[in-house]
Amino acid sequence: MTQAEIKLCSLLLQEHFGEIVEKIGVHLIRTGSQPLRVIAHDTGTSLDQVKKALCVLIQHNLVIYQVHKRGVVEYEAQCSRVLRMLRYPRYIYTAKTLYSDTGELIVEELLLNGKMAMSAVVKKVADRLTETMEDGKTMDYAEVSNTFVRLADTHFVQRCPLVPATENSDPGPPPPAPTLVISEKDMYLVPKLSLIGKGKRRRSSDEDATGEPKAKRPKHTTDNKEPIPDDGIYWQANLDRFHQHFRDQGIVSAVANRMDQFTFQTQTSSEIVRTMLRMSEITTSSSAPFTQPLSSNEIFRSLPVGYNISKQVLDQYLTLLADDPLEFVGKSGDSGGGMYVINLHKALGSLATATLESVIQERFGSRCARIFRLVLQKKHLEQKQVEDFAMIPAKEAKDMLYKMLSENFISLQEIPKTPDHAPSRTFYLYTVNILSAARMLLHRCYKSVANLIERRQFETKENKRLLEKSQRVEAIIASMQATGAEEAQLQEIEEMITAPERQQLETLKRNVNKLDACEIQVVETIFLLESYIESTVKRQ
Amino acid sequence: MASRGGGRGRGRGQLTFSMEAVGIGKGDALPPPTLQPSPLFPPLEFHPVPLPSGEEGEYVLALKQELRGAMRQLPYFIRPAVPKRDWRRLPRELKIRVRKLQKERTTILLPKRPPKTTEDKDETIQKLETLEKKEEEVTSEEDEEKEEEEEKEEEEEEEYDEEEHEEETDYIMSYFDNGEDFGGDSDDNMDEAIY
Repeated sequence: MTQAEIKLCSLLLQEHFGEIVEKIGVHLIRTGSQPLRVIAHDTGTSLDQVKKALCVLIQHNLVIYQVHKRGVVEYEAQCSRVLRMLRYPRYIYTAKTLYSDTGELIVEELLLNGKMAMSAVVKKVADRLTETMEDGKTMDYAEVSNTFVRLADTHFVQRCPLVPATENSDPGPPPPAPTLVISEKDMYLVPKLSLIGKGKRRRSSDEDATGEPKAKRPKHTTDNKEPIPDDGIYWQANLDRFHQHFRDQGIVSAVANRMDQFTFQTQTSSEIVRTMLRMSEITTSSSAPFTQPLSSNEIFRSLPVGYNISKQVLDQYLTLLADDPLEFVGKSGDSGGGMYVINLHKALGSLATATLESVIQERFGSRCARIFRLVLQKKHLEQKQVEDFAMIPAKEAKDMLYKMLSENFISLQEIPKTPDHAPSRTFYLYTVNILSAARMLLHRCYKSVANLIERRQFETKENKRLLEKSQRVEAIIASMQATGAEEAQLQEIEEMITAPERQQLETLKRNVNKLDACEIQVVETIFLLESYIESTVKRQ
Repeated sequence: MASRGGGRGRGRGQLTFSMEAVGIGKGDALPPPTLQPSPLFPPLEFHPVPLPSGEEGEYVLALKQELRGAMRQLPYFIRPAVPKRDWRRLPRELKIRVRKLQKERTTILLPKRPPKTTEDKDETIQKLETLEKKEEEVTSEEDEEKEEEEEKEEEEEEEYDEEEHEEETDYIMSYFDNGEDFGGDSDDNMDEAIY
């Protein structure tokens, strides 16, 4: 774990869970797997605090535990999972676009609480939705359950590994930590609950209606105190599925940008690609280099209803997509009217390269970007050749090359002519290694996000006094309005905040918003680069 | 080394590569020497691209800020503990009254101290489900550690002390004041109203 990543993890943990959890979490990330006592001793915190912190971290899937020999339990932190916290808003927004407000709240509850039982989620979401609805209307549990089931069917939420059913004949003492297991087919199985009720009603009871004897679910008699029909079955958000969705979104928008601006019918090629991706959602694993081959006939049948393009037009589009130098779509055979695949790995590579090019263009100018693209295309170029091909005067070309070299976007490859590697008798070729450039850029992104968060915290801390004052004033105004106060009194209270203070608050708000928006942008770039690096590393 | 000399030997000032290749021709002025570290915020040559605005951007922004606020309110946000005070030096009445649980617990607990920690580990690991219950228990253990002397004092209505000592509960400490004068109650349910 690089220093930048550790710093970012530290900031995230501190912002979301407080200082104690941050201390323990960072310690675990730095030192790897450790037992409880050692953690308490090394960090100098009391045992209770460490226990609390570990519970929180385990609840949120940030720390895992393992039983080692002699019954010692060791805890290990997962740095990459901590970094996923940056994307929580994007996950929730995606759920909103796919499954509207209900889906959004379900995913939000699951992300905020780490793991939850289905009945708990449904109840909470129904209550929250009821609060936002007009007076007299309530949210039915059934509707929320339906959305939950749909989320599970499309694999956006998954079951957490379960405590294995203990055999009664086990004579020894229970192990210090349970080993949780989950089988692939059970991961998205929704327990049969009939959750009857509406939001906010106290009298709603969860009944175990159909009573299917599932081995993992103990039967509870329904009593008024605590009916928990799905006790022990916990759900969590399936982040990999969300990532798959983001990746598909990225590919579709890339195709749209590239092809659809010139075609007569808007968005056709991107729709075709989107259809192909949707058909391969469940059949292809997220780390496969390309999707399963799909025949042109299948694609034609699966196109969304509103698209009435003829078969020949579809074939023409597919041929066009397959011939495109970006190679997003490839032709893998001729049966069934032509078998087409989507090259996921190549697509991610193109997206990463485009990101690099864009960074260079915005940082160093369009001429530098031209040189970069040139070297990328020709793989290895000598300095003289760069000047000739790019048609840029020698001095400027050298300057730009060295600038990019110093920032590690371009690297040098030495080819000696003589065995003694004398510099005057060696070829120096400029080349671009996309993987290492992507890694370097990713590292910079992590640093940027850490800087953004720190700056935002600094700005907030600077104006803390003012913020608290304005909050107090707002609270006073709200309470006075509730009790019915005159306009003049309200005016007086509002004037407690002077005009320059108001201005200061405005500036603060604008700055914080800007910093937050920047963070969101950088996090998107991080996602692209991480996906590309992961896909490349898996193929090696 | 002898051949390095003071740069006065033969072939002084010769480099292993030709200067023209790098781009510094003969007679060209070299760039000025750098006498100080580069500025902390170097001037940007090209202005950054404006941030995307629009409905989606605004929504995600609002969502992010809301999430940040929401997470601070959840029970998962652990606030740092109150520092231990030396109660011998302060007036007795300032000490926060201990909860009734402690009276029974400390007497039973002391002999059980060593095995309790393994039990704690058990509890820790198996408490994935009920976070609140666990927090209450751990809090009471913490209180034990904080207040080793079992002096029951009435506590002054000082806001300062109250806020410092309440971390996990939503009620001010006098809520738990059952008036020790009535003798200890036997039920552990702290949520019951006290008359």
